[in-house]
Amino acid sequence: MDVLWAHGDSGPCTVREVFGALSASRDIAYTTVMTVLDRLAKKGIVVQHRDGRAYRYAPSEPRATMIAGLMMDVLEDTDGDVRRTALLRFAEGVSAEEAAALQAVLAQVVSSDTGRPARRGRRRASAQP
Amino acid sequence: MTPLVLGVLAVLLAGPVPAALSRIGALLRAPRAAITLWQAVALAAVLAGLGAGLAVASQVLLDKHLTWPWDLARGFALLVTAVVLGRLLLTAHRVGLRTRQLRRRHRELVDLLAEDAAGVRVVPHETPTAYCLPGFHRSRIVLSDSTLQSLGVGELDAVLAHERAHLRARHDLVLEAFTVLNEAFPRVVHSRVALDRVRLLIEILADDAAVRRCGRRALAQALVQLASGTRPAAALGIGGGDVLLRVRRLAEPVRPARAVAVAAYLAAFAVVCLPTALVAVPWLTEAVPRLLG
Repeated sequence: MDVLWAHGDSGPCTVREVFGALSASRDIAYTTVMTVLDRLAKKGIVVQHRDGRAYRYAPSEPRATMIAGLMMDVLEDTDGDVRRTALLRFAEGVSAEEAAALQAVLAQVVSSDTGRPARRGRRRASAQP
Repeated sequence: MTPLVLGVLAVLLAGPVPAALSRIGALLRAPRAAITLWQAVALAAVLAGLGAGLAVASQVLLDKHLTWPWDLARGFALLVTAVVLGRLLLTAHRVGLRTRQLRRRHRELVDLLAEDAAGVRVVPHETPTAYCLPGFHRSRIVLSDSTLQSLGVGELDAVLAHERAHLRARHDLVLEAFTVLNEAFPRVVHSRVALDRVRLLIEILADDAAVRRCGRRALAQALVQLASGTRPAAALGIGGGDVLLRVRRLAEPVRPARAVAVAAYLAAFAVVCLPTALVAVPWLTEAVPRLLG
């Protein structure tokens, strides 16, 4: 995938070109590359262009767009509860007022905790930057 | 008589009981027991609802003097039971499928787009966030690279400990069951308190695991940092309150409430056994011999 993105502006690559780029750094079969590209095409991650008898492949979206889409899955709760169940987030976002309230409570935690793990803490004092 | 009692019980367990439970703050001090209690209440509500229908069914089968047309109320009760069961199974299937689809698609993209840093996937993105994708063998913990920059070593450890606790204990399965219940029934019959409360409770459990490993301070700092770095999701408008509550717990640590835990376990046991006994005992002593003989 990185090869296709790197290829970027110069247009879609053939399987041969991708294979050439990958086999320089690792031991990989030509047919493997072909299969993987075909599967990525089925998933809509790359697009296939017919070019004579061969196919040429290009990413369906720039890398940045794909990352933005990925993070939308996480950060936007468009799909509601099911999405929130599928991806368990460490902390949901808060509004500005809530953030201020959080800072106040955090000050309490810091003053009440010396930095050592609570009772039963095993490993080490939490390393603070 | 049995169908009526069970029907009333089902309604109570679906509405007023969860509402009351969510107001008992002490339950947050015994999160594991509290989750068990919530599960028991949900199970009991479903059992009571289905039991009511079963009880009607066995009465209909046994009552030879029944005249056509059937007692309308009985017919209706049976219909409702069938619909409840159908919806429950259908929704379980649908939610399960969609959850798995979402996770699979997301995981494939993560594997393509993220870098693998010692088992943790790092996505280049300016919003600091951390989450996990549960799965049997293929679970992933994902961070954005801005998370790595904004958190110290101890805080990062706390985040990872929290996520690993989720994955280890398969908290997602508990959540999935409550998501099904929430989606299966119309808002009139139940409220979403159960789902929200269970969501909070599993976060608390994972928080406790992180505190044991890394201390209260590191976790609190990580929580505040990551929550403040993200805008709230417009769609639901919740979550912010949960984070505040979680950090407050860290500010005033209380010893785990053993008495609360014991009470919650007992209540959980009772609430499941009650409707079961109500259906099963009369049915076994009366209906089965008559059906056989």
